[in-house]
Amino acid sequence: MTEPLRILVVEDEALILMQIEMMLEEAGHCVVGTAMTSREAIALVHETRPELVLIDLRLGDGSSGVDVAHAVRQLGGITAAFMTANARALSEDMAGATAVIAKPFTGSVLEESLAYLLDCVRRPPPAELVPSGMRVAPAWLASFARMRAGPPPRQGPRRN
Amino acid sequence: MEQPDAWHQTDRLDAEQGKGDPFAAAVRATRMPMIITNPRIPDNPIVYANDAFLRMTGYGRDEVLGRNCRFLQGKDTDRGAVALIRDAVQARTDIAIDILNYRKDGMPFWNALYLSPVVNEGGEVLFFFASQLDVSDRVDAHLRVQQEKDRFETEVANRTRDLTEALATQTMLVHEVDHRVKNNLQMIAALLAMQTRAITDPAARNAMEAMLTRVEALGTVHRRLYQSNNVERFDVAEFARDLATDLVRGSGDRIRLHLDLEAVEIPVAKAPPVALMMNELITNALKHAFPDDRPGRLSVTVAPDAGYFTIKIADDGVGMPVQVMEQRSFGKRLIGTLCRQLSASIAWMANDPGTIVSIRLPREMAGGLESS
Repeated sequence: MTEPLRILVVEDEALILMQIEMMLEEAGHCVVGTAMTSREAIALVHETRPELVLIDLRLGDGSSGVDVAHAVRQLGGITAAFMTANARALSEDMAGATAVIAKPFTGSVLEESLAYLLDCVRRPPPAELVPSGMRVAPAWLASFARMRAGPPPRQGPRRN
Repeated sequence: MEQPDAWHQTDRLDAEQGKGDPFAAAVRATRMPMIITNPRIPDNPIVYANDAFLRMTGYGRDEVLGRNCRFLQGKDTDRGAVALIRDAVQARTDIAIDILNYRKDGMPFWNALYLSPVVNEGGEVLFFFASQLDVSDRVDAHLRVQQEKDRFETEVANRTRDLTEALATQTMLVHEVDHRVKNNLQMIAALLAMQTRAITDPAARNAMEAMLTRVEALGTVHRRLYQSNNVERFDVAEFARDLATDLVRGSGDRIRLHLDLEAVEIPVAKAPPVALMMNELITNALKHAFPDDRPGRLSVTVAPDAGYFTIKIADDGVGMPVQVMEQRSFGKRLIGTLCRQLSASIAWMANDPGTIVSIRLPREMAGGLESS
């Protein structure tokens, strides 16, 4: 991996957190922090300024990953993606996040999803084909389509 | 029949002079309560009341003659009905209306009133003729029916609300259980994946990886459940796309995947065994058909076939070695048992080069067979 991403992982299930951490590190990325509640996560977002935040929807203490996504959107310039077994609970705009990776995911789905998100962060737009098991927010899909249509390149829907 | 002095006679119906008039006699004798009022006298008083009217209301003749009819009204008399009667009198039209009246002893009764003006040739209203009927029984029955209907409707509304709430609760529970199952499958996969990393022995590692793949296949089934609107059916074709893409991707770029998928919906209970079966067959092909990084092509077909459907997995690899065909591996036993569960027939054929595995299985649950 020649271009490691700085990633914050927000997941309250120990085993799944460990697996994601392991897979990210094996893929050569840098896990700058892990959080199990939205409070921890929001503090870490400000502290570590990651490039990518992977967010579980249901967090410890009954808190919600949506709050983390809102904080990320407010800060701007950070890509967020949900990883959840409850994707249907997400609103259409995914609280500003780029995509949702549905649990349970296979190792290779996670790999492909990460490659897609790497392109979103480093060289948007990503390839047109969205990996199976992943759903991209409509606003971002539209934004990527505009980028592909040609210059001038535009920013994604950072706010709303 | 019409006599020139008919109006005059009618004016004195209760008088002795009217006794010879057969119409007056009929009005006097009928069982229908009747009165006549004279609007030409101030306050439109009653000028005639027959015996039936006196029986119905309980008053004596001298108590009603000379009085306006409003003495029949009481505290529960509908003011709207009274206003309608007043309007009709003013407009000199007929009116038929049910109104709550009171007897002399205070007993209320429903009075089916029919009121009509008697007009002379000059258009002047000489009298109002009113017939009455005690319809308490009819009105009470009507009210009872109305109350029954209201009560029934309230009951239906309550039941509907209860059922809607129960359904919402059940839907929430299904989603909650679905969420937990998916999370747990992810946790099992996480355990296997992490444990596998720590194993150095290649055989043990292979076995662990095969196990992880099986768990992942079950995970993919659950990820796809409840995605469609129909929570009881599972689309084999879409699942096959997910699974085959995932497995082929995991084996590197050298294998090209060809998909020929027609939608086949099966009961959800059949999804896990079908998924495990497809996983075993595709994994087998990828493992045995393309040794030494040999490139090739894998094709997966799902096709409906009347009450059955066929899953065909074809590779253009080295062909299934006899020892693999004959060995009693865990994978082969799993395939055999899954075939029994699904009432499926399975065939291995040479593909020149490569191998074709074809499974044909009934779409619906086998009748009488314990299959889930």
